[in-house]
Amino acid sequence: MTTHARPRAIAGGLLDRPMIWLLALFGIAEAVISYRFLAGIGSVSNMNDGYTWGIWEPVNVVVFTGIGAGAYSVGLLCYLLNRGKYHPLIRPAVLLAAIAYSLGGASIVVALGRPWNMYLLALPPLWNLSSVLLEVAVCVVAYVCVLWIELLPAVFDDAAGSASRVRSAWGKRWGGRLAKAMPYVIALAMLLPTMHQSSLGGLMIVAGPKLHPLWHTTLLPLLALVSCMSMGLGAVVVLTAVMKHTWSARHDNELLADMSKVNGLLLLLFVALRLGDIAFQGKLHLLAVPDFYLMVFVLELALFLFPAFLFLTRRVQQNRARVLGALLTVVGCSLWRIDAFLTCYNAGESWSYWPSLGEIAVTVGMAAFGVAVFIAVSKIFPVVEVGDPAAIRAGHEADLRSLRTRPATPPGTSNPSRPRSPR
Amino acid sequence: MLVSRRLLLQGAAVAGASTVLPGKAQARGKVEPLEEAVGMLYDSTHCVGCGGCVAACKEANGLPWDEPTDLSNTTRSIVKTRRLAVPLRNGEASAFVKRQCMHCVDPSCVSVCMLGALHKEGQGKRDMGGERKGTGIVLYDEDLCLGCRYCQIACAFAIPRFEWREAFPHIVKCELCRKRADPTREGALGVANPACCQVCPAGALVYGRRVDLLAEARRRMAAEPARYNGKIFGEKDGGGTQALYLAAAGVTFKELGFPDLPDGSYANASESASHAPYLNGVAPIALYAVAAYLVRRNKKAQEGAERPEEPRK
Repeated sequence: MTTHARPRAIAGGLLDRPMIWLLALFGIAEAVISYRFLAGIGSVSNMNDGYTWGIWEPVNVVVFTGIGAGAYSVGLLCYLLNRGKYHPLIRPAVLLAAIAYSLGGASIVVALGRPWNMYLLALPPLWNLSSVLLEVAVCVVAYVCVLWIELLPAVFDDAAGSASRVRSAWGKRWGGRLAKAMPYVIALAMLLPTMHQSSLGGLMIVAGPKLHPLWHTTLLPLLALVSCMSMGLGAVVVLTAVMKHTWSARHDNELLADMSKVNGLLLLLFVALRLGDIAFQGKLHLLAVPDFYLMVFVLELALFLFPAFLFLTRRVQQNRARVLGALLTVVGCSLWRIDAFLTCYNAGESWSYWPSLGEIAVTVGMAAFGVAVFIAVSKIFPVVEVGDPAAIRAGHEADLRSLRTRPATPPGTSNPSRPRSPR
Repeated sequence: MLVSRRLLLQGAAVAGASTVLPGKAQARGKVEPLEEAVGMLYDSTHCVGCGGCVAACKEANGLPWDEPTDLSNTTRSIVKTRRLAVPLRNGEASAFVKRQCMHCVDPSCVSVCMLGALHKEGQGKRDMGGERKGTGIVLYDEDLCLGCRYCQIACAFAIPRFEWREAFPHIVKCELCRKRADPTREGALGVANPACCQVCPAGALVYGRRVDLLAEARRRMAAEPARYNGKIFGEKDGGGTQALYLAAAGVTFKELGFPDLPDGSYANASESASHAPYLNGVAPIALYAVAAYLVRRNKKAQEGAERPEEPRK
């Protein structure tokens, strides 16, 4: 590990120009949302009885949480498969996940017709245990809590490094206590996404004849689970690349090369499962019908296979094209999710749907708010690993030179109070 | 190779097997029609398309007359004219079909409803008042509805409607006029009394117990075999429905706008696939225990490696 690299708060004021833009987008979304609560969902959206979820569920929930699955997939690698070197990625991934899942949950509140009844979800005797959506809802709420708890060490670390003795003692005490409980929290963070990500896919099984047979399969839960791992890893790689460019965040070439390999295999697994299932169910003849759905299917397949090919090419693993691969992975998995929930869903002859400006404004505004929160939290709390720029450059070169022999971080040598890396 | 391929494949295989295999072994089972279930029989060959049933439904449910062309948030029942691909022998180029909630034997909407707002009468999470078990009527309880609209996704017949322009919206669908029941009467009229069936002047719409309606449908088909297409829609389709349909010879139910459904219900397929891996709650607990053990062990090892000179207190 590069010397002195540990999570630090990013330097710079909070309200810079990008932040103002992001908040402006969120402001527009807020205006639309306020109007929706006064005049009904139909007043701001093109949703109808046929396409009743519009883009809010397929994108804001199913895609956002897929992007947030980075905490799950990196966590699996780091904690379950014991690859400790992934540790530097955990905090940013968890922050991304906490934000993405929270926004997914917030979007649900906007999309629900009767949200004032939501408190009833807290009463287990009322639960209809047959409902796949109930399982998703309860599990996602629980997971959002787990994710924010997983971020608490950043808050305690920040306090522990504080100049104030009281604050520092407080941070150390509670940080220590939380550290003891952490394995059990992390285990929950491994279990819950396994449950709700597969259930998210399972949501559409019941749609039966309304979903195109190339997408409708009882394998939907498994496909959704595998795709969330891919998508999550892809999102983390993209995030790392963006943070490297904007904040000179630490950037471990070897780690990213490894993740690319894993992701390549996951993508191939997804494609194998999907094609195998189609063949097994005797649906291959559908691939001979040249229609819109086949086009979408081929596009999806390309967006899975091309990144897989990139990831499994040794040269690409080491160069920048892997970021392209990661980006395409996120796009491909998102496309598959949106298709299974919307594009290839057909409620009947009497309906058509295209999202309204209001719907798009809400989706974009929510995403913008997510980015804004990520930036703000990274600037206040130690989440992202940055060294000073010179050390990073040196470290980067060292990484390239000796890919496998990295010295362990000397302990306790760099714990200054609220370090701010100079711009 | 840093993350070994073997480990990864093992993990994937275990995850896959635990999702798929028990799914086959643990189906939740087929739901059989209730003995006393009530429903309606619609005979398309007798319908004259007068729309009396639509008007009666509006009146009975206090809904405004707005010249409906389809089900909507103000229309629980509708008669549609369907153009036929091939004209019938008598020259008829279209056929009528009445649509309303099918009151499925194993309804998808009930299966997916988070808190049981949509439920079979007397089998929900709470009693809305005067509910009788065994009628099989699918009722809507607004106090348990979150407005998630998953019922609309789930319903193969695209029946439930939503009040899109309301700040406090409801799901709207036929409840078989349970409120018009006459409790002093014996039999089917004691549990519900659909206004549509009461006013039909052509004998196209009959209310009664499902078993009686099935017998009536068979009687009609036996009496005039050339008149009908030979199938009772809803007898088995999608696990069976309590609204049953007859259509003229030469007309398919697909032409009338019905989906092509397997004999099993999608509620069963979905619940079995989604819930079976849980092995009645054993799987999550086992998974959690294994995860907790591994995380604890690995985390300790990793921290030990990272801070060799700083033993944890």
